[in-house]
Amino acid sequence: MSMVSTAPSRRRRVKIDPWRWVGRIFLLFLLTFTVLPMLWMVLTSIKSQFAAMQYPPQWWPAEPTLQNYAKLLDPNGSTGQEFLRYFWNSFYVSMVTTILGVIVAVPAAYAFSRFTFPGRTFLFFSVLLRNMFPSVVFLMPLFLLMRWMGLVNTHGSLILTYLTFGLPLSIWLLKGFFDNIPIQLEQAARIDGATRFQAFFFIVMPLSTPGIIATSIFSFIGAWNEYVYAYTFLSKQDSMTLPVGIQRFFTEFATDWPGLMAATFLMSVPVVVLFLVLQKYFVRALTEGAVKH
Amino acid sequence: MSIATEREIAARAKRPIRFGVLRQMVDRRSDYLYVLPALIVMMIVIAYPIYYTIELSFFNTPSNLQMKDKVFIGLDNYARILTSRSFREVTMNTFIWTVASTFFAFLLGLGAALSLHREFLGRGVLRAVLLIPYVVSAVAASYVWKWLYHSDFGVIGALAVQFGFTDRPINFIDNIHTVLPSLIVVNIWKEFSFAMIMLMAGLQTVPDQLLRAAQVDGANAWQRFWHVTFPHLKGVSMVTVLLLMVANFNAFIIPWIMTSGGPAGASDIWITQIYTIAFGRQRYGLASAYSVILFIVMMTLGYFYVRALTRGDDTRVK
Repeated sequence: MSMVSTAPSRRRRVKIDPWRWVGRIFLLFLLTFTVLPMLWMVLTSIKSQFAAMQYPPQWWPAEPTLQNYAKLLDPNGSTGQEFLRYFWNSFYVSMVTTILGVIVAVPAAYAFSRFTFPGRTFLFFSVLLRNMFPSVVFLMPLFLLMRWMGLVNTHGSLILTYLTFGLPLSIWLLKGFFDNIPIQLEQAARIDGATRFQAFFFIVMPLSTPGIIATSIFSFIGAWNEYVYAYTFLSKQDSMTLPVGIQRFFTEFATDWPGLMAATFLMSVPVVVLFLVLQKYFVRALTEGAVKH
Repeated sequence: MSIATEREIAARAKRPIRFGVLRQMVDRRSDYLYVLPALIVMMIVIAYPIYYTIELSFFNTPSNLQMKDKVFIGLDNYARILTSRSFREVTMNTFIWTVASTFFAFLLGLGAALSLHREFLGRGVLRAVLLIPYVVSAVAASYVWKWLYHSDFGVIGALAVQFGFTDRPINFIDNIHTVLPSLIVVNIWKEFSFAMIMLMAGLQTVPDQLLRAAQVDGANAWQRFWHVTFPHLKGVSMVTVLLLMVANFNAFIIPWIMTSGGPAGASDIWITQIYTIAFGRQRYGLASAYSVILFIVMMTLGYFYVRALTRGDDTRVK
């Protein structure tokens, strides 16, 4: 559009909202703040070690290379073997945690949503209060407990821990979803001769699929990113998960920054993809409870 | 037992006193089956450790972790912590870390939520991008920022030189004056979008008609925000601030990976201190006492959290 045609229309407008511009500038600032670190991570990961250690830095890699990624993903090299091992461990632990979490949390949340029994309120708040306690506080007794049960250095210790610490939130979220499913649906099924379990399994469960998806991504991401317990419970190389693994791996000798950036990038890919694909559920899970309840 | 009808639920809610609790529990024993798996797991992993931490806090534990050799010393662990000189510094750091992180994360989140409230092209994409730091692991974030802050090859230092703020790259995390603010920036980067997403959900509850009515009555943007929007956001803000505070209190990964509390304890907070005492010096008794102190603080915050949540519930019922 030319200046001539826009000028009169601009004059006709009542007034320009300055707040809208403040908002835009603010968003631009936030976007820069958010994206720059991630961008620099990616740019560093495609540099050679020599190119990364320069002052002033190469703002744009002069000779971009994928060798850092190739090294990490090469199943024949020693670095690649270790990295893929950690990756698989992380995936295994997160997956088992998520599945078990759903199996345990769904009935509990259903009970909290549907039944009234003595101690329900107390139970529920004790479930919530767990979110208040720092993981480091649980470390020592849990470490002793795991040692006593012979679970140190096994994935079982992590799965048990993540499962429990994920439960309160999962129950809390799922209860919100069950609350929104009309009880009449189940009553109708019961009248038609379904047992209570059948009504629950064939009527309520399918309707609460979004809730189950939301809870699942939440526990998957939580387990994938967890560091403190993995750092304390695992000391054997081949049982380590990614967050602990990459640490031991790159600080043994002088830090290979481009390699480390490539590793953090690969480590972030699964959760970011999961988040982007299932964003709707994730956001709902995050805000459910706090806003609605 | 059949599923309670709404009338039954209403009748139960109205019943003023609960009598025969035991009989009710026996009557409804099958209901407990649904909660049992969750309860058992939580008893083992949550209740027992809490009990054990409190017990250990009264003992002097041997460093080889043979707990049968522990010695009862009463409140000595507590006295030692509360009178030690480092306790005051660490508490100060914890306070600055928690309050500053929470304050700025909330402020940025509120600004972002208000700016994103209006529909525009690319709004969904922008929201998703802003949320990525919240989703990625804190370990990854810590390494990336450690590299950005690097004393020789860090991009932030280089940019500062480029734009003429300093003539030498700044050493952010090896300097006792800049280390804590530098870590707080990382923490804010990681969690401001949590506040954003909570407040965006909260903004949806602000009735549009009310805002339009205020506009018709001649209220300017600030007045509309302060008198219409903000009162509706109070509940969500309360919960968000509390959740952020709890998360920051419990934040371990960022300070641990980036500095491990250094240099000279300048970025040591309660959590890193507890970890060092327990797993660096193997003094579980002392660390347990520290944990109990932290418990008490968390319980206080937890009380307000539950109150903020249930108050919202009451208003909804009414």
